[in-house]
Amino acid sequence: MDVDTMRPTLRRQARTFALAWVALLTLMFTSLASAYVKLGVFNLVAGLVIATLKSGIVAWIFMRLSKASALLRLIALAGIGAWGLLVVLSGVDYLTRPVAPAPVERPQQLMPPRPDRAVSP
Amino acid sequence: MSAHGGCEAIVPEGAATLAGSPERAPPGTGALGMWIFIASEILFFGGLFFAYLYGRSHWTAGFATASRHTDVVLGTLNTGLLLTSSALAALAHACAERGERAWVARLLAATAGLGLAFLAVKGFEYRDEWHEHLFPGPDFALAGVPGAEEFFVLYFIMTGIHAIHLGIGIAVMGVFAAAARRRVPGAVDPGRVEVAALYWHFVDVIWIFLYPLIYLVQRT
Repeated sequence: MDVDTMRPTLRRQARTFALAWVALLTLMFTSLASAYVKLGVFNLVAGLVIATLKSGIVAWIFMRLSKASALLRLIALAGIGAWGLLVVLSGVDYLTRPVAPAPVERPQQLMPPRPDRAVSP
Repeated sequence: MSAHGGCEAIVPEGAATLAGSPERAPPGTGALGMWIFIASEILFFGGLFFAYLYGRSHWTAGFATASRHTDVVLGTLNTGLLLTSSALAALAHACAERGERAWVARLLAATAGLGLAFLAVKGFEYRDEWHEHLFPGPDFALAGVPGAEEFFVLYFIMTGIHAIHLGIGIAVMGVFAAAARRRVPGAVDPGRVEVAALYWHFVDVIWIFLYPLIYLVQRT
């Protein structure tokens, strides 16, 4: 867009947004490239770390958390923090019990039966 | 410059606003309300993201196989479209603060246009996936791959709900752009443009996380 017609401060702000946009696209292509390297669990880690960086740029610059009041930052953190808490609490359950497939799941997804856990009729 | 200060330059004292009322909320109320809404939305999408993490940790290979059946080119294109639209929405907010009415109208219209392009691309993706029998059900193409069906159940639910959110954002941006173009009083109120832009950025952030989880599990 033609930023010459805008006022100087707006032009400076537009330049910041343009730089943020370039950074976001660069991170997007980095994320894409990482998926073509066999990293095992680190494919997930790389994807999430880059996504977090991109979200940070959007939140900090586009959503202006950098200039926001402490209250707004606290609300943003509260949402993420509450979700993190729920993930941890739910994970405690799911990670510490045997897989119990739901009846709607396909038979081939069921774990093979374990004799030591057989329930007597 | 405060958001409220920018409004006063555009809306004369006592003039009817877009909502038809001359009354004004204290400065920053809209942004505060939107951030609270966003926090609740994080929890809404958070449940789905947790379900995904559960599935991926239990059926790692199945999720990787299923992910390779998604269209990474269209997914990347859509990510680029949304990131660009967010930059334009942020610029529209900055223009609104300075009373650049014409630019606000153009930028909001461009934001909505990129959102529509995103939905069109997503529609093509859904059509291809339907023809390839990747929609969960009796004819599911990857029925023999444990976890693949769970992946696609989550894929359609998460991208579908995201698309609904985006559709709402497109409608909001479209209405604001049209109102700014027609010089409706209060249409380029920076506080209102900020609220609309915040919602748009949030929808973008959700996609930023969906992109690697859906398309980039492992392409090799």
